[in-house]
Amino acid sequence: MSVRYALLLFAGVAAAHPAAAQMGAPTASPPPAGLGEGESAGYPSGRYDELNQLPDWGGIWFLAFDMPAPNSAPPPEPKLKGEYLERYEAWRKEVAANNGVAKRERSNCSAPGMPIFMQIPQYPFEYLFTPGRVTINQEAWMQTRTIWTDGRKHPEDPSPTYNGHSIGHWEGGALVVDTIGISDDLELGMGMGHSDQLRVVERIRLSESDPDKLLAEITLTDPEALAEPFTLNVSYRRDRNGTLIEFQCSENDRNPVNEDGETEYL
Amino acid sequence: MKKNLLKLAAGFLLLAPAASMAHHSFAMFDMQKTVTLKGAVAKFKWQNPHAWLEVDVPLTGGKSERWAIEMTSPNNLALEGWKRTSLKAGDKVTLYVHPLRNGAKGGSFQGVRLATGATLGQVDQ
Repeated sequence: MSVRYALLLFAGVAAAHPAAAQMGAPTASPPPAGLGEGESAGYPSGRYDELNQLPDWGGIWFLAFDMPAPNSAPPPEPKLKGEYLERYEAWRKEVAANNGVAKRERSNCSAPGMPIFMQIPQYPFEYLFTPGRVTINQEAWMQTRTIWTDGRKHPEDPSPTYNGHSIGHWEGGALVVDTIGISDDLELGMGMGHSDQLRVVERIRLSESDPDKLLAEITLTDPEALAEPFTLNVSYRRDRNGTLIEFQCSENDRNPVNEDGETEYL
Repeated sequence: MKKNLLKLAAGFLLLAPAASMAHHSFAMFDMQKTVTLKGAVAKFKWQNPHAWLEVDVPLTGGKSERWAIEMTSPNNLALEGWKRTSLKAGDKVTLYVHPLRNGAKGGSFQGVRLATGATLGQVDQ
């Protein structure tokens, strides 16, 4: 089937749908929660000067591995509770019985979502500043994360997504971000589930001693899954002239997950 | 040093569940073991999520077996001096890899010595 024919067929199927009356008509979404018309990031014109007040986060950033001291204690883990703890313990037993190999329920071409989004090794990410929003492009899985800084509130009932709904503001040189609406199909860390009440608060700033180092303090709260808030600190190192590389996972998926949840190697 | 770093990274992966997974877990490889492969490059793919190297290793009797070697991401390799053109089909190489635990002809890239003697990654002496 030619592409042109397929497109026509698609248009034909769509036209048979009642919503077809709106096809091609301009759409008009309402202003985001807490803002009036004309106040959102959708109106950047005339506000680009404000960006000069923001810190210099240019270039791309790689997750940094800070060397733990010899014989230091393992890094702390979130303290799960209730059914989330039971499920994690069962998962650990299963992994131990399976030579340390964890089963996967999802494709390796599927992104982990927040908060692991901010802790992905190997693949760099970048920050883009435009009026009213900060955009993070993460090379891995070619993800985009938007942090709204236009003063909007969270929607009352956000649709669950991988990266959730993020609003942020600047406190001096620190970007403070509040994220909710993260899908409870995802994990806090390997084998650790969370509820739809997960909230992630990030405080991201440049290191005072090293301008090519970015620091993030990430605090997780979840009244259903976590016994207490969990804070982790991660850092990133800068490659000033680096650029992101395409990530077309489905076209290079040499590690498919089979029906037993095992990652294969082609 | 690089080897120790890798081991440390592997340890870190086990200890820090949140930061554990890159594109997939390393558990399928025996990171404590290194296999040396002498052969010719059949294919070098410079793309995410991993760069890949396929190498034909000659066996006695004229036949050869093909190994598929998984590398890290191109952007990570670039930090170590790699380019898309660092290897091409036909190049004679000596490869050092952490083999798959299941015995299949595959492994995680550790280092390579080119015919010129130049090396990339961790190469055993």
